[in-house]
Amino acid sequence: EQNDNTNTAKKYSRDFLLKYAEQCVDLPEGFVTSDIPEVLISGRVSHHDKCDSL
Amino acid sequence: DESGSKKLAYEPHPLEHRWTFWFDRLDNQSDKSNKQATWGSSMRSIYTFSTVEEFWSVYNNIHHPSKLPPPADFHCFKYNIEPKWEDPVCANGGKWTLTFQREKCDNSWLYTLLAMIGEQFDYGDEICGAVVSVRSKNRPDKIALWTKNASNEAAQLSIGRQWKEFLSCNETMGFIFHEDAKRLDRGAKNRYTI
Repeated sequence: EQNDNTNTAKKYSRDFLLKYAEQCVDLPEGFVTSDIPEVLISGRVSHHDKCDSL
Repeated sequence: DESGSKKLAYEPHPLEHRWTFWFDRLDNQSDKSNKQATWGSSMRSIYTFSTVEEFWSVYNNIHHPSKLPPPADFHCFKYNIEPKWEDPVCANGGKWTLTFQREKCDNSWLYTLLAMIGEQFDYGDEICGAVVSVRSKNRPDKIALWTKNASNEAAQLSIGRQWKEFLSCNETMGFIFHEDAKRLDRGAKNRYTI
């Protein structure tokens, strides 16, 4: 069990998470675009600027 | 095929919490009383995700803050916590707020999301979620990090310091109690500053 000030089990660093950005380009199943405001949907976009801390 | 192999190449990475994206395209009317009456009425949940892969699948297909038409708020909150003062989990909480030039906002928003979903905060359980507020050209964009127990000063200061560190931010920022914001609106003063 986690407490306020203890580490949780599923911790992922920023660099770790960024590794998966390029692999997940398709909308997930169950994402109904017709229910989503049009102004929000970009299609495939450049997902992020190069991490400047690297 | 290539897309198929990408999908099957790995097992999804579960997140510690489920998170929900919310979007609110705000009314352009400037009348204050009207704004008060309609606030939150256009807010809708977009998607709830629970894995690293689901996060990117949505994030990669929606506009980032700099491309959203102002005024709009985009939220990422833990599942079952609504991004509203009235939510029982948020009611006694507060928020840290940073302001940004638009071109700087996208990376800071992404890094805020990654720090939250990756459980990088020592007091992660105190976090409700984050909101990026996209405003017109003459007003800066803002990112706010909402927390649960505003009176827990040690937790709020830890979260604030870590957040600034994650964003490589040197700007002074303040923490406002929701309770003060409800009573005093823009007259609410920072209770903590770092």
